[in-house]
Amino acid sequence: MIKVNAIGDACPIPVVKTLNAIRELKGPDVIETMVDNAIAVENLTRMADKKGCAIQTEQLGEKEYRVTITVGEASLSQATDMDAEVICDLPRSGKKNTVVVISSKVMGHGGDELGTSLMKGFIYALSQQEQLPTTILFYNGGASIPCEGSVSLEDLQNMAAQGVEILTCGTCLNFYGLTDKLAVGEVTNMYAIVEKMTQADLIVKP
Amino acid sequence: MRQKKPTLIITFASTTQAMAVEKYCTENGLPGRIIPVPREITAGCGLSWKAAPEDQQALTDALQSSGLGWESMHILEI
Repeated sequence: MIKVNAIGDACPIPVVKTLNAIRELKGPDVIETMVDNAIAVENLTRMADKKGCAIQTEQLGEKEYRVTITVGEASLSQATDMDAEVICDLPRSGKKNTVVVISSKVMGHGGDELGTSLMKGFIYALSQQEQLPTTILFYNGGASIPCEGSVSLEDLQNMAAQGVEILTCGTCLNFYGLTDKLAVGEVTNMYAIVEKMTQADLIVKP
Repeated sequence: MRQKKPTLIITFASTTQAMAVEKYCTENGLPGRIIPVPREITAGCGLSWKAAPEDQQALTDALQSSGLGWESMHILEI
């Protein structure tokens, strides 16, 4: 019996520690991993299923679980290279990185007057969501929305106060003569815009 | 968590009417702003005018005298 203590460890550490223990086994054995959260139990179960090991789980306390994994001959000979991060469905444990991209004053194509009203409505409705985006990017025609005199300013300031990152293209502000009119968030550049977009889990573009 | 407070919501029969009211109110310095009709209301077109409840009388008078009109008025906790 090998004991693994993963109390206080966040995913994927409990899986990594357990996999390491299995790797070091010389023959069939039992591994007992102690963890303090249900997600770690789920991930260990998924790992054991994939390896074809028997698994037993006991909840000992509010934040104490004992996971017993029986490693047989077959599981030992099986290729042991497993990616703990794949087993640990990581995005579930964190907030989705959502980036909203606003590239125009108007929402959709057709009448610009209607499109302007729709965009105001979009930003208002966005600010009322339970789950706010991580970042909002403004460029080209959208660059005037976070500036003085915009009706959406209040919504953007509300979101900024709740931790939403608001970034506006500096080249665009300069082009439209709005550089000293930006009223919420920070000025950004194309490198940061590309980085935010390529690293997003989800891009929302009205 | 957002703080909910009583809010005046004015709905309109058409999008065009809502947009005309927005233009009129902005030009005449009347309080409020255009927002999508809150989910709690099923009346009217998709756009509505949002203002503080204490502005109801001033807005009623202005919309009446301008002839723009409205469909319904609501006080909602949003």
